[in-house]
Amino acid sequence: MRDYIIRRVLGMIPLILIVMIVSFGIFSLVPNPFAALIENPRIKKADIQRLIKAWGFDLPWYLRFFKWFSGVIRGDWGPSLLYPGSTARDVISRALPVTVRLMGIEFLVSIAIALPIGIISAVKQYSVTDYVVTVISFLGMSMPTFWFGLLMMMLFSVVLKRPSGMPLLPAGGFITPGLEEAPFWAKLGDRAQYLVMPVVVLAFSSLGGYARYMRSSMLEVIRQDYIRTARAKGVPERSVIYKHALRNAMIPIVTLIALSVPGIVGGAAITETIFNIPGMGSLIIQAETKADYPTAMIGLMLSSVLVIAFNLVADIVYAWVDPRIKYS
Amino acid sequence: MDNREVLVDIKNLRTFFYTEDGVVPAVDGIDLSIHRGEVVGLVGESGCGKSVTALSIMRLIPNPPGKIIGGEIFFHGKDLLKKNEEEMRMIRGDKISMIFQEPMTSLNPVYTVGDQISEAITLHQKIDDVEAKRRTVEMLHLVGIPEPERRYSQYPHEMSGGMRQRVMIAMALSSNPELLISDEATTALDVTIQAQILDLMRGLQKKLGMAILIITHNLAVVAEMAETIAIAYAGKIVENASAKEIFKSPRHPYTYGLLASIPKFTEKKTNEPLPAIEGMVPSPYHMPKGCRFNPRCPFATEKCREEEPEILELTPGHLVRCFHPIES
Repeated sequence: MRDYIIRRVLGMIPLILIVMIVSFGIFSLVPNPFAALIENPRIKKADIQRLIKAWGFDLPWYLRFFKWFSGVIRGDWGPSLLYPGSTARDVISRALPVTVRLMGIEFLVSIAIALPIGIISAVKQYSVTDYVVTVISFLGMSMPTFWFGLLMMMLFSVVLKRPSGMPLLPAGGFITPGLEEAPFWAKLGDRAQYLVMPVVVLAFSSLGGYARYMRSSMLEVIRQDYIRTARAKGVPERSVIYKHALRNAMIPIVTLIALSVPGIVGGAAITETIFNIPGMGSLIIQAETKADYPTAMIGLMLSSVLVIAFNLVADIVYAWVDPRIKYS
Repeated sequence: MDNREVLVDIKNLRTFFYTEDGVVPAVDGIDLSIHRGEVVGLVGESGCGKSVTALSIMRLIPNPPGKIIGGEIFFHGKDLLKKNEEEMRMIRGDKISMIFQEPMTSLNPVYTVGDQISEAITLHQKIDDVEAKRRTVEMLHLVGIPEPERRYSQYPHEMSGGMRQRVMIAMALSSNPELLISDEATTALDVTIQAQILDLMRGLQKKLGMAILIITHNLAVVAEMAETIAIAYAGKIVENASAKEIFKSPRHPYTYGLLASIPKFTEKKTNEPLPAIEGMVPSPYHMPKGCRFNPRCPFATEKCREEEPEILELTPGHLVRCFHPIES
């Protein structure tokens, strides 16, 4: 097992390198952002030329890649084009915690709700509970987040008000200005109220998928002969479900969950935009459209590394929950 | 006849399945009694209701679609069909155990065989884990599994089909049941392994003295083991007598047909094809009027097509459901 992990980790290095080259290559297809400045009569041609040279846009993309890459190995990801004066790393490290907080909570909330309802709707297949859960799951999956988000805002920020006349929940943002340096608990409470709506919107859209997976996996297992064997030896029904069936039904689910973790850093561009949250999703899209390749590359590399790493995690967890899987 | 105490007495058991295509009377008035320590064979073609009878005794009919709609199953004089789920659970695996057709899928793949057997023991006996493990190893030894200590911590996938069926038997017998139901337990195994498992069951029956209900479509299996044989056809028992009687002088035309279709190696080799029973098992959705065997019976008369025969004791201990029984 240890050898297997070492081998897989070593195998990641060339893979990540390839991902870097390919994504950098695709980025170079974005037109040179400084070329457009030529239209502006108030900027000197010489200044434009200097900018182009400083950013390396006079070089072919592969030479620019080597220039960028030699910085990356030294930990220098380059300056941000989008936010002049900041490095790309600083820009990312401002957005990342905001997104991880939102998406992490959303992830935990949706799994904590989805798995139990998936189990219940499988155990009580075709019951009223099952139908209600199924309808709600599909509703969540098919409702656009921007629309549901706006509906939530109308209800909780416009219609419902606190006695003070303030909206019940803030319509957007992620922290009340001025509270950045407040004591821990005050800050926590403040952040929580900003998170309620986006977390609900995102969780509602993703929990249906997990619940359906859990339900079908559980249904598959409940039909198995060994479940009948468990009943035939007098195992109480609770134990039949939560010990004998669940352990087997979880095998595909843990893989699914492990593979979903990288999504936490990717952010949710639409929801972030609706709720005016300066997270990774909206940042990366802006960076990409404005040819801010140093910033966008960090985002891309972060996602790629996590996807590759969590594939390994999924394989390891898989072997851990299913004794039939052995790596050598 | 048999002066041993009656252990199980099934009276007019009716178990129906309510499917989308209609009602399937899988078991439609089965009567069967099993004495203490008796080995009873229940023989019939696929779909005649053998397995459903077994699952009805265990009260493990999947509902929906199945339901026991009538009759009584007396166990020690008390009707199992009147017991609540918890009382029934305490009987399963303790007083009545069952082994199944598919040893490859009847054990839970994510728990060790030792865990699965000791679970059966601790469910019904107040003993600690150390004692349960000791008993489990003892049971593994009893069913002829070499190196029981090592096998204890193996998973089902590390064992062959024959070994797994031995594990199933060890599990079923771990609480010294009074009745063991073997539902086609040797059908899925190689012929040589089949003989070994039958030998094992016969040996254990002599040693432990439990009653066995052997369910099979293979007359050769019951010929070697059963004292009493019941022949089932289309959800009813058509003949019930001692094994000796059944093989020596079958009275029901169906039994006669079954026996005639077994190749006999004692006879001179001929080029005659084996006699087979004409026609097909009736569709459960359209049971024939009158005697259910009449469309395939060479002796059927107008009466057979109109009226349903009762089961009658023709000679002491020999019950036959036929208007025109074959003369002995």
